[in-house]
Amino acid sequence: MAVTRAGLVYGVGALRAAARGDRVLWSLHRAALTSGIVPVVPAPAIAEGFRTEARSDRISDLLDGAEVEVLTDDEARRAGELAAKAATADLVAATVAEVAARRNCAVVATRQAALTTAANLLGHKLVLHAL
Amino acid sequence: MVSKRSVSLGDDVAKAVEQAAHEDGMSFSAWLSSAAERQLRVRQGLRGVAAFEAEAGALTAEEIAAGEALLARLLSGVSGVASRVTRRR
Repeated sequence: MAVTRAGLVYGVGALRAAARGDRVLWSLHRAALTSGIVPVVPAPAIAEGFRTEARSDRISDLLDGAEVEVLTDDEARRAGELAAKAATADLVAATVAEVAARRNCAVVATRQAALTTAANLLGHKLVLHAL
Repeated sequence: MVSKRSVSLGDDVAKAVEQAAHEDGMSFSAWLSSAAERQLRVRQGLRGVAAFEAEAGALTAEEIAAGEALLARLLSGVSGVASRVTRRR
């Protein structure tokens, strides 16, 4: 049976790509917006992006067209438990996988074993554009 | 804070909104507000894309088409790697 996705979730890799001016990422972002799709970015990915990237102005431009997913108490607990089960310290990857599963979204991020493992633990087939 | 406005909708649109709001478990007003919020976010996001283009150069028609094709692939459940997409351009 074909798997379809309703939207996009950006991981840190997407934010880094935006910061370095990756034209494929910006073209994809434009396509999403013109299709009425507002990509979702979990708050921890934003924190990591602003920690590591000098061109935070470009990340800000990207976030102008994104929905920031702020974690509730329960969601933060679930992300932590998921990271533990996936045996990873990468809370951002766990959060991205959790949001993608819950909101039925494809993921734009760096290819990471933690992301795939977390998605598998959730019984969610990861649809990933790896940057 | 909530601001009350009187708006006029075509009958068909109003019926469609009523149905969609019911399906989504929202009030008529909340559904309209959510739709407006989304549209404003899209508008603001396209300004962000324009800011990138002003600095880095406008996206070409080919790049825009590639972005649309990539979006369609992802929504249809097909994974991919950036370098492969880049090579196709």
